[in-house]
This record gives sequence, structure tokens and C-alpha cells, in this order.
Amino acid sequence: MNSHPQSIPAQTSNPGSASSGSTSESASSAAEQTLRLLAQLRSPEGLEDRVIAGLHSAPRRGRILYWPRTLGGSGGAWIRGAAAAAIVFVVAGGGWGIYTRVQPAQPARVLVMPRAGAAGGFSGAGAMRTPETLHGPVVARPVTDKPIEPKTVKKSSARVVHLPLRALQSDANGAVASQPSATAAK
Amino acid sequence: MSTSQAIYAGWMEIQNIPVDDLARTQAEEAQVAALVTQYAGALYRVAYSVLRNSADAEDAVQEAFMRVLRHRDTLDEVRDHRVWLIRIVWNIVLDRKRRAKTRPETDDVAELARVLPCGGLSAEEIASAAQHHAKVLGCVEKLPAKERQVLMLSAFEELSSVEIAEVLGITESSVRSRLFRARILMAELLNHSRSPR
Repeated sequence: MNSHPQSIPAQTSNPGSASSGSTSESASSAAEQTLRLLAQLRSPEGLEDRVIAGLHSAPRRGRILYWPRTLGGSGGAWIRGAAAAAIVFVVAGGGWGIYTRVQPAQPARVLVMPRAGAAGGFSGAGAMRTPETLHGPVVARPVTDKPIEPKTVKKSSARVVHLPLRALQSDANGAVASQPSATAAK
Repeated sequence: MSTSQAIYAGWMEIQNIPVDDLARTQAEEAQVAALVTQYAGALYRVAYSVLRNSADAEDAVQEAFMRVLRHRDTLDEVRDHRVWLIRIVWNIVLDRKRRAKTRPETDDVAELARVLPCGGLSAEEIASAAQHHAKVLGCVEKLPAKERQVLMLSAFEELSSVEIAEVLGITESSVRSRLFRARILMAELLNHSRSPR
């Protein structure tokens, strides 16, 4: 294994001995021989044992889902694909279900009045809607100096109807005559 | 078959699935352990050539095999395990070097003299060789990244140009052209470092 080490130092002990024409070749070959020396170094003792021990003590990868080897491999690729598609379908379906059930906040209702004078439509003839929350228009009474007195019935103006005496008597007899019939009805 | 027999048969079938899994897991772990035994040294050398720190290189090898263990299901689909593993560890060490920006311990000449084998040489020769190696490695660090990577991987005799191309994810012709440029640049850098003296 260590066949080169003796030749390299012999060459490097007098590096200027090469001719000028072959200087570059000898320089590059010397460099390669140095690298070759490094490449031929012996590995430390017990390297393999340490590596194997390290592999045994290394933490194994945790598996979230146990996947049997018989289902794995090249033959079970379609099963994995189907399982992945099913998971994606369930997740997407659940998300869609939540999305469709949650309703967004209702926007404020606004009555859109038709434009006055729109072509082909009815016009309001300039009428303005008065909101019901307001009282009607209050007409201000003109202020006067003399308050208006209410009209009173004058006694002097009361009419006195003079009926003839015979008519009064006949009326009285009629009332007396009609009384027994009223009592008899009771 | 009676109902109870059918139920028992079904239970037995259900019981058999984890047993198969356990056996398969153990087989895969044994396969990973075999990969460790076979390629840990090569991966260490690849990691060390970039990081030039023994502890970091060992950590990189450990991380590479951890990744292998994580993807042990796909081990059977890998064509060339060696190139695949080298590619993994190569990406790990490049990422670590990019993040850490730590000073390699082999920038120290004394450490380099200790690490690199120099059998049969006097102490003075060893020190001179270590200085030369440190200078060469300093020039390698100055190379553009693409050329430097190809040059470092070409130092591994166990990797052909096709395998280097596979590790780097480029074509073989790109490997050759980059290697050619790297050699020219390296020679220029080394001559430039010698000329002031």
C-alpha cells in the first residue's frame, strides 16, 4: 500500500533538478504524487467497528404509519398512490364542507330606487318619499295680538216657537192615550 | 375448511408479515455492515483527502453509512456500490468543507510530516518532504473547484476516469479536459511559487 512514499521525498528533496522543458510535467506529477500519498493513507484502526457500532446506536427513524414491507416495494406503489389520493380527498372534502357551511356576514340591505326618468320605466313624477319616523309638516300659525274668542250662543238669538194651543192639547191627549198600550206591552 | 381454521389461517398470515419484515431488516443491516467492512477504508481516504482531518473524515464516513442505512430499501437497485458510496461521501465532505471552512490540520508542516509515510528517510529529508507536500497542497487549494475536484479524485488509483465522471456527475470527456487544465494550472502555480526563491 505504501509503495509511493519512498519515491516522493526523493523527488522532492531536489525539486529543481528537472530540466526546464519538463518542469511543468514534473511539477504536476509531483503534485499528483502528493495527492496520491494522501489518497493512500491507511484508515485508522477499528474504523469499521466504530462505524458499525454507530449505526447500531443511531436513532431509528420513527414511523408514523406502519407500512408492511409486503405492501411496499415496486408492486405496492399503486396502493400507496391510492392511499395518498384517499387522504387528499378526505382532507379536501372536509375543507370544502367547512367552507360551504360557514356563511359570510350578510351585507347591509340597501333599497335601490329606480332612476327617475329611466327609459322605459315609470317615473315618480318628482314625488319625494317622506320617512314615517318624522311628523308631518308643522304649519306655524301667525301670531296675532287679539286672541280669537270662541263663538257663544246669545240668548237673545234663541228662537221661540209659538204653537197654537189646540195643537198642544192634541199632542197631550195622544201621549196619554199611548201610555196604557205601553204598560200593557210590559 | 371450518370457520375457526380459516380464522387461524388468517391470523397466521397476519403474524407472518412482521416476521418477514424483521428478517428483511436484519438482512439489509447485514448488507450495510458488509459494505462498511469492505469500503470504509476507501471512503475514509476520500474524505481525508478533502478534509485532511482524521476526526472529520471519520465523521463523514459515519454519516455516509447513516445515509446508506436510511435508504437501505434501494440498495438492490444500486449498480456499483463502491462508486455510489464514494459519491455519497464526496458530497458530504464537500458540503462540510463549504460550511465549516476550518483549517485543515495538515496545513501544519509538522503534522503533515507525521501523517504522510516517509519510511527510510532522515529527519532532515522528512522535514523537507513535508514542506514540499504542504506547498503542493496549498497550490491545490488555489485551483478552481472543478479542476481541483477532478485532480483529487484522480489521485485515487482505484477510480477510473469513467468512475470519476460518475462520482462528479459529468461526462468522461469533461473529466479528461478538467484534469488536463488542472495539471497545467498546478504546474504554473508550483513554478510561480518557486520563482521568487
